[in-house]
Amino acid sequence: MAILEITDLKKSFGPLEVLKNITFDVTKNDVVAVIGPSGSGKSTMLRSLVHLETIDGGSIRVADRYLVKNGAYAKPKELSSITARMGMVFQQFDLFPHLTVIENLELAPRLTKREPLDAIKRRSSELLAKVGLSDKSNAYPNKLSGGQKQRVAIARALMMNPDVLLFDEPTSALDPELTGEVLEVMKSLAEEHMTMIVVTHEMEFAKEVANQVIFMDNGHIIETGHPDQLFGNPQFDRTKAFLNRSNSKKIKRKP
Amino acid sequence: MSIENVANIIKPMLEGAQVTVLLFLIAIVAAIPLGFLLTLAIRSKLKVIAWFGHAYIYLMRGTPLLLQLLFIVFGLPLLPIIGEYMVLDRFTAACLGFILNYAAYFAEIFRGGLLAIDKGQYEASQVLGLNKWQTTTRVILPQMFRIALPAIANESVTLVKDTALLYAVAVPELLHFAQTAVNRDFTIMPFVIAGIIYLLITMTLTLFFKWLERRFTFD
Repeated sequence: MAILEITDLKKSFGPLEVLKNITFDVTKNDVVAVIGPSGSGKSTMLRSLVHLETIDGGSIRVADRYLVKNGAYAKPKELSSITARMGMVFQQFDLFPHLTVIENLELAPRLTKREPLDAIKRRSSELLAKVGLSDKSNAYPNKLSGGQKQRVAIARALMMNPDVLLFDEPTSALDPELTGEVLEVMKSLAEEHMTMIVVTHEMEFAKEVANQVIFMDNGHIIETGHPDQLFGNPQFDRTKAFLNRSNSKKIKRKP
Repeated sequence: MSIENVANIIKPMLEGAQVTVLLFLIAIVAAIPLGFLLTLAIRSKLKVIAWFGHAYIYLMRGTPLLLQLLFIVFGLPLLPIIGEYMVLDRFTAACLGFILNYAAYFAEIFRGGLLAIDKGQYEASQVLGLNKWQTTTRVILPQMFRIALPAIANESVTLVKDTALLYAVAVPELLHFAQTAVNRDFTIMPFVIAGIIYLLITMTLTLFFKWLERRFTFD
């Protein structure tokens, strides 16, 4: 059974329809890359999965429970326990600047008290080691580079043991030379079969790591498929045009 | 002027300074939390509460503190029927006036601090499963406090100097004793001494806030 099932998602900001009948599902261990031009609704779609955006219609099922069913949200009490199965990594990292790295990791698990303190401490040091930042444990975020901040943000999201990890353009705010270290961490998570949905402009990453690619444009899913198929043999003109544009971007120069 | 004379002038002035400091401490300790409640009020989703908060702040910032003090100390007892229950000890009445007035300024400072916090902080907290209370107390307030600290320091220094308004409602404090000594001895010294004592108080305060700022620098 799909761990995430999204059906007929609709969302408008005023008169502007940003999501039009979005339907797809995610199976456990999938790595889904969501690509598409700016303003295509990728981020809004991702954010609606964790209830950072309220949708106007459609359904979102997480494991065996509905976050929204035909436009009707679960009871407020249940909402957070449903979204708790998903973690999220933001473009701007959004670390807590007044807390050290280790405190950033431990704040939520300590407050939500789902497990004993020593288990929390053990996992926080494990996860910091996993993202290669054990030596930054007591540093404050403003002493870290962008790449290091994003790795801390990933570790912080993993602290809550999510079933699915969502990434909203995780490398878009980074200097080009810092994207590699973040993509490496994400790649190793994929190798450990973490279920992930990644909204990204990194086509190489999508090709290499994803097993499903979703191309969105203008609030619609235009095309979805295995990366070999979607990148190698796109079926729709809009997909081809987008892929051509993002291929030529590297050499295009303004007059 | 002999040392003995100076001592005679300074002694009552130091007693007056105690009143000044006491008023300052009472006002700041009460006005800061009250100001924060006001900030919450003006951000409330309930229109009535938000409106009340705005009206209150407008009233308190839009009229002179001196008028407010005179109103509480001398005005309230003149009200028909309830007036006789409104006769407060003058110092108490003055404290009340300062607290009510300064709360409005602190509310605006905290509002500014909240505006400076990125909405990503709320979103990250929500996605990590923190409830509203945990988000406010553990994520938002510490950052708001840090952002507001320089403005709070500034307002506190102003508060020290505003305590001199007690002179107008006849509560004997530092300035009162200075003025009395000047009239009695025909010397300018008490004014100079008063100035020095105010400077010492504000300097202590400034150093304290500098220390706080360093303490809450997150790097």
